[in-house]
Amino acid sequence: MKKLGILAGVAGLAVSTMLLASGARSADDAKLEQLKQQGFARVAIANEPPYTAVAADGKVSGAAPDVAREIFKRLGVNDIVASISEYGAMIPGLQAGRFDVVTAGLFMKPERCAAVAYSEPVLCDAEAMLVKKGNPKGFKSYEDIAKDSSATIGAPGGGTEEKLALNAGVPRDRVIVVPDGQSGLKMVQDGRIDAYSLPVLSINDLVKKANDPNLEVIAPVQGAPVYCDGAAFKKGDEALRDAYDVELAKLKKSGEFAKIIEPYGFSAKAAMSTTREKLCAAK
Amino acid sequence: MDWDWNFVWEIMPTLIQGVKITILATILGSILAAIVGLAIALARRSENRIVARSIGWFAEFIRGTPLLVQLYFIFYVLPDIGILLPPLVAGVIGLGLHYGTYTAEVYRAGIDNVPRGQWEAAKACNLNGRHTWTHIILPQAIPPMIPALANYFIAMFKETPLLSAITVLELMNQAKSVANTYYRYIEPMTLVGVFFLVISLCSVVLLRWLEHRYGRIER
Repeated sequence: MKKLGILAGVAGLAVSTMLLASGARSADDAKLEQLKQQGFARVAIANEPPYTAVAADGKVSGAAPDVAREIFKRLGVNDIVASISEYGAMIPGLQAGRFDVVTAGLFMKPERCAAVAYSEPVLCDAEAMLVKKGNPKGFKSYEDIAKDSSATIGAPGGGTEEKLALNAGVPRDRVIVVPDGQSGLKMVQDGRIDAYSLPVLSINDLVKKANDPNLEVIAPVQGAPVYCDGAAFKKGDEALRDAYDVELAKLKKSGEFAKIIEPYGFSAKAAMSTTREKLCAAK
Repeated sequence: MDWDWNFVWEIMPTLIQGVKITILATILGSILAAIVGLAIALARRSENRIVARSIGWFAEFIRGTPLLVQLYFIFYVLPDIGILLPPLVAGVIGLGLHYGTYTAEVYRAGIDNVPRGQWEAAKACNLNGRHTWTHIILPQAIPPMIPALANYFIAMFKETPLLSAITVLELMNQAKSVANTYYRYIEPMTLVGVFFLVISLCSVVLLRWLEHRYGRIER
């Protein structure tokens, strides 16, 4: 009897969560009005320079939030307020209404396109791996790591690199989820993992700061495509996304887009030579 | 958002892998905590004042700092002085040391509760120090401690999700990586809660039985 009671309790909890969730469908244009009124948009970032960065004084920078800040300003929303999140938690957080938009270098992939409403492309980058000097295990691709049964690779949880490694056949227990860039670097230095994978610009930034001659960068990783991110909105906020796209297109055309992202090392040309449609369809 | 039973069955094997690691970490951590606690309790009673004092300070230090900080220290800082422990070992040592300082207090209370006459009787029978402890004092002191010790072990069990911070693939970490892959939190996190609840309830039943069976001594 007691057991039944517990089961009923759990089921009740699940049902009430469902009821709560179904009531929270937001109207389209109301979203932008609401952001204007409150004066800021809540964005999710990862603190992974040069995509996203938080300075010691709490100021948010990085190419992705800088572009978002400019566009929201033009839409009449004065500021952005950022919260740091794991990559894997960004889409669920967006769906749960914890942020209004993800501006974090969350690369467009078909399964993500199905879950969120992306803007047109913003930041493009290839993938890289950080290894010890001389690349002792001779990695060139994620498949090389899959083949070496003793090799381990670190990647951010829920990030693109984690999935690339898993898809290449690296078993789950050899793909180590690393909480942040600094930990990943330290784990390579300590020999806890054989490789740490992030986009090229992120790895370069990390290595430059670490200034450790015993490390080496493999870039680009063979067989891994160049990805582009976009600002990711909640499904249902397409009106806001479309308004965002209009301003983004104007920024790109005027050359201001390049002025914002190129100092961070990103190529404006790469983002302008592709579209959301292409990236979301890519296999 | 809706509850998807098919998804539940799909992720179940992955979560069960995590449950195994969680249980393993709890058992090893509890054994370590039981040993460390006894060692600290005995060392604090040592006649050598320096030993007693420094162990006392060590215990206060561990108890006064968060387990999460200690785990980061063991995992990320110790390699700098050449001690590179695998994640699970680092986690078990963190749990064992941290909870060892708490179980030490349980041992202390248990030992203090053995009537003075028992010590005097042991002396009168001309037993040496080791025999006094192993034949007279501990057999009387330990059984009444079982409930308090067990409470700490259950508390430790519920703290094992902290190990996910140092890349141990225990239940919480497995659930997070499942959630990261499918963008769904409702099923994995609910299941983690259910697993913890079920295992806690089973442990309580087991411990009540242990207490009943061994917890009473005749004086």
